[in-house]
Amino acid sequence: MTAIQIVLITGVLFILVYFIQRLQKAVISVLFMVLLSGLAVLFILQPELTNTIAHKIGVGRGADLVFYISILLFWYFILRLYARIRKLEETVTTLIRQEAIKNAGTHD
Amino acid sequence: MLNEVIKNIRQVTAAHIIVVDDGSRDPLYVDQDFKSVNLLRHYVNLGQGAALATGIQYALQLGADMVVTFDADGQHDPKDIAAITEPVKSDQADIVFGSRFMGTKNQVPVLKRILIAMARTFHWLLTGYRMTDAHNGLRAMNRKAATVIRITENRMAHATEILFEIKRHKLRWKEVPVNIVYTPYSQKKGQSPANSIRIFFDVVLHKLFR
Repeated sequence: MTAIQIVLITGVLFILVYFIQRLQKAVISVLFMVLLSGLAVLFILQPELTNTIAHKIGVGRGADLVFYISILLFWYFILRLYARIRKLEETVTTLIRQEAIKNAGTHD
Repeated sequence: MLNEVIKNIRQVTAAHIIVVDDGSRDPLYVDQDFKSVNLLRHYVNLGQGAALATGIQYALQLGADMVVTFDADGQHDPKDIAAITEPVKSDQADIVFGSRFMGTKNQVPVLKRILIAMARTFHWLLTGYRMTDAHNGLRAMNRKAATVIRITENRMAHATEILFEIKRHKLRWKEVPVNIVYTPYSQKKGQSPANSIRIFFDVVLHKLFR
């Protein structure tokens, strides 16, 4: 094993352990992460594999293919995060609205 | 400014007035002399859509039969309230919008006119409604409309959201010509043209996350 393989695999495993710890109840998310990590480790150990797949679907280099897929995944995560933010915003709005109505000042 | 606006409204109607302070750095102050005025305050700034929703919800709690929304920056003419409430009172419409383009007296800045024309086309494509001025802050609605229209867009995209809600609940709408006064104050407080891009994205994301 080369040094870069050790570094990358250690990183992937750390992220996986972190995810499993944080998302114990979200079975689907954990399964997804395990699958993704498994693939990552496989490709780190067998870099030639990405080249083979890349050539089959018309991409020049395996590293490029991984790069393109990563971009798609990042977009997906950004949208998920954005949805989460909107949810939070809604909650904050409800709270502030209730507070405002409760403390309504009246001049009668 | 605010108390001047309230005073002007008081000259045309004795209706209950609800002021929403959307987290101003210096909390708003309403003169003690005014009768039937409520002041609500958001602890933090949420946006115009959120402020409208808060005011409307409180009006419904007070048992209002009709709600008129009125921008507090002095751009509306209180005399238009009579014209805008008339179709609601005579049950011709559930919600009435003021339009600055149906009259001829208004001096709308050129850039603003172009942006509003774009927004109009956009609304027409999305809802099929040919509305001349959906972004007018002066609106009147009956209790039914005020109850079913749920504003969840905190910022300026609420104007488009109201159209979606009208379509969803099959409400009857109408437009009535009104005056807009572009004072230096209201120009300063108003939307900058660049902001329309953000509004556009808010609307798109609103559709995406429904």
